[in-house]
Amino acid sequence: MKYSYIKPRRKTIISPELQLLFVFFGITLLMLFLTYAFLLFKDYRFSQNMQDIDNKIIELKNNTSKMKTQIAFIEKENLLAQKIYTQNSVLKDSISNLFDLVPQRITLSEAKLLKNGLIFYGITPNKDIYNFMLQAPLRSIFHKTYTSFYPLSNGWLRFVSTNYIDDNEIDEEIDNTLNEEL
Amino acid sequence: MKVNISRQNIYLLALSTFLLLFVLLFSFLVLIPKGKEYREERNELKKANRELRKYENFDSDTFSLLKKLQSDNRHIITAFKTDFNADRFEKQNKNYFSSLSVSKKVFIDKVEDEFSVYEVNTTSHISSPKSFYQFLDAVNKGDWMIKINFPINFKRDADMIRSSFTMRVYKASRESNSSK
Repeated sequence: MKYSYIKPRRKTIISPELQLLFVFFGITLLMLFLTYAFLLFKDYRFSQNMQDIDNKIIELKNNTSKMKTQIAFIEKENLLAQKIYTQNSVLKDSISNLFDLVPQRITLSEAKLLKNGLIFYGITPNKDIYNFMLQAPLRSIFHKTYTSFYPLSNGWLRFVSTNYIDDNEIDEEIDNTLNEEL
Repeated sequence: MKVNISRQNIYLLALSTFLLLFVLLFSFLVLIPKGKEYREERNELKKANRELRKYENFDSDTFSLLKKLQSDNRHIITAFKTDFNADRFEKQNKNYFSSLSVSKKVFIDKVEDEFSVYEVNTTSHISSPKSFYQFLDAVNKGDWMIKINFPINFKRDADMIRSSFTMRVYKASRESNSSK
């Protein structure tokens, strides 16, 4: 038997209004929390990236510093090598020039090349030839020149010519040659 | 006039107000400051990346310079690195001398703590000074960094010239061509 003309409404704890409210706020809160989660994730990534960048910068700095040390060392090696090559070339030219100084009529038996001087041992037909043809050019090169003569049985003279130059001048000459080459 | 609000509507209104307040407070107190912080961090990261690129470019330039120097000075670097070997030296330079003998190398000094200097005494026989000049040219192109040092003696010995001189061999104490 029916007591009402309308159909009975199903009663629930959550009414349609409340459902609507929950859906609305649910979506809103979800968006807020997702945004917050995104920001937290970005924050975490930022710290990681910054750490990576800092590490990379430190690594690059160390690497660059190592390479700079190597560059400086190679430049030092190059400079020293140029100095050595120049000194060898200067030595070659000096020896060549010194031997060119000796005239045909004078015969050398020994030559000692020192850092700051030169000692010639040899024989000459007479003092004049020695003085004009060898001592004169030697005097123009060296600051101090001493010569001793010893007579030989055939009338010739054995001589020992000792010549010295100031040390500073040798260094200057090498420096000038080095500068010209560089 | 009496407003009749049902109990359910009051709960609904209270819950709505609470949620709205929560949303507002969360947005203004947490989300917006965090957003600002994110924007600042993004700018900071861009700046750090620019800095990193600067260092990378500098590193790359330095590397190119190092490689160029290493290739331009390969002979010098190798010469400073090579240990002096008397037998090999004699073999390489015997063409310039009729006879050549080289003494054992003796350590004499260090240059700026980076180069060790060894001394080697040499005696030889040459037919003319020209051979000695050729030898001096060859020394600069040789396998070792050698400086011919004074005193140099030339003495007549029958048809030959007996020469004796000192050589200074320079050797780098540390490595200069390890790569990146």
